[in-house]
Amino acid sequence: MAPSSSKAASPPPAARRGAGAPAAGVALVALAAATLPLVTRDSYYLDVATTILMNLTLTMSFRLQVSTGQINMAHISFMGIGAYASALLVTRVGLSFWATLWIGALVAAALAVPIGSVALRVSGPYYFLITFAFSEVVRLVFNNFLEGWFGGPSGLVGIPKPDRLLGLAFEGKLELYGLMAVLCVGVALAFVRLEYSRFGLTASAIRQADLLAETLGVDVFRYKLTTFVLGSFVAGLAGVFFAHFRQVLHSSDFGLEPMVLLVVFTVIGGTGSVWGPVVGTVLMTIAGELLRELHHYEILVFGAVLILTMLWAPEGLVALPATVRRLLRMRRSKDARAMGVGLAP
Amino acid sequence: MLLELRGVSRRFGGLQAVADLSMTVARSAIHGLIGPNGAGKSTVFNLITGVIPLTTGQIFFKGDRTSGLRPSEICRRGIARTFQATTLFREYTVLQNVLVAAHLAAAPGLASALFWSRAYREREQRARERGQALLDGLGLGSVAGRVAGTLPHRDQKALALAMVLATGAELVILDEPMAGLAEQEKAETTSVLRRLRGDGVTVLLVEHDMKAVMGVCDTVTVLDHGLRIAEGTPREIQTNPAVIEAYLGAEEPGA
Repeated sequence: MAPSSSKAASPPPAARRGAGAPAAGVALVALAAATLPLVTRDSYYLDVATTILMNLTLTMSFRLQVSTGQINMAHISFMGIGAYASALLVTRVGLSFWATLWIGALVAAALAVPIGSVALRVSGPYYFLITFAFSEVVRLVFNNFLEGWFGGPSGLVGIPKPDRLLGLAFEGKLELYGLMAVLCVGVALAFVRLEYSRFGLTASAIRQADLLAETLGVDVFRYKLTTFVLGSFVAGLAGVFFAHFRQVLHSSDFGLEPMVLLVVFTVIGGTGSVWGPVVGTVLMTIAGELLRELHHYEILVFGAVLILTMLWAPEGLVALPATVRRLLRMRRSKDARAMGVGLAP
Repeated sequence: MLLELRGVSRRFGGLQAVADLSMTVARSAIHGLIGPNGAGKSTVFNLITGVIPLTTGQIFFKGDRTSGLRPSEICRRGIARTFQATTLFREYTVLQNVLVAAHLAAAPGLASALFWSRAYREREQRARERGQALLDGLGLGSVAGRVAGTLPHRDQKALALAMVLATGAELVILDEPMAGLAEQEKAETTSVLRRLRGDGVTVLLVEHDMKAVMGVCDTVTVLDHGLRIAEGTPREIQTNPAVIEAYLGAEEPGA
């Protein structure tokens, strides 16, 4: 994402809002997703790629909420709500996956309205804590209550793969990968458009100075709730796919650890730009696969990477080129001063 | 009468920041609010714009009660403000700052932001043109593409004013618009304020620079310890014994 101008103060990613960049970025993501099956059809690689795309829908929707200043620690719970809703509707009610894909997402969005309305009464650390508490409640409900429905600690099993659609069977990894790719590119297109629209401009303004935005007539609460509900809808969508992709659900799939990974992916990529989650999720999911040998210790490595990112590239990897340029410029002007050609202090 | 405060007070714990304040601001006037440090001027601004709730009293704007409304709703009714510590969207360009402020003029629906319809794009283009024209009028046209956080202090102040105007507010509340400006820049700001009055915008300002206040204001209200101690034309205020006492301290008897 190289900026087109090299002016003294090159605008940060959020400031570059043209019509060309977003379309090109989404096209690149779509092209990469379409190219993979031409390179390999190995089921392991397809599995990893599907996971990347699934994580990407989650991190992009999480980032949308971060852009209005919310760190929503219950984001993964709405994925879980979508997943369990769809699994039950398919196995108990006998609905088709193609209906529950949307119903599951709508259930997540519908629950997000009252929950967001309560949680968004507060902000900052209090919001973080309220959403965290809610996510634990959801996890415990899946784990301990209605065992006949949710399956309790041994999980909800026997979830079928998506049924046939337009003559396509979704039995193999390739078809499932293709489905996730279509969902992910659709979601990416929507989020990128939002980001580069007036809506995105106002949303990120709230993160920079919420009181100023409010006194300028921006209904901050409504903006936050809109991103909360929209983000939960997308998380629910990813959850439905997850349920029928893995075919088994455990409450821990939607607990603290995957939530922390979601935050890590997003923050490492950079929350200031809609492209941050793309970079962070692709790199870190691949890193996670490479570190699979380490088993539970991979989270230690992720922690170290997060700390290093915070120290050396606090705006995330996506902003790294701009950060390096700024540092170089500072060094150059310092050299110039040392040689006595700069302005007197 | 554009704005009316009726028996407004605000208490912070044991501190009575504003006590039973009643005042009115006339339409198309430049109204100054002055007083020594801690007199409650900024608190009055925060109460009018809904940033903090009133302890008692009521505020009316164009005859409708605005006290109790949220700041965004109060802005929607036509009151916008700047902050004493100049606040901007620092990561955005100057023009983007104005576009966010012009939110009300072109409220973006979620659907139109998703589908980028032709009407949406045309409206956005018009909003950019209006924003650019506003910036040109305030001498910021040439820096429209610069990131707000990198602007010099003077331009940041001018941008804060531009954003308030972009909301289309009828009442503009300015918290120390002259602070930190050089004489020449103060003169420019004064002429901008006069131009606004000519355009029918009402200005309510807090300012410590007495020369500027007396030069530009039609009416001045003086606060001390949360109480209104005087109100009148600049000439009346300058000769009011209560005001002189508040600013210089009472003469010791027999000193």
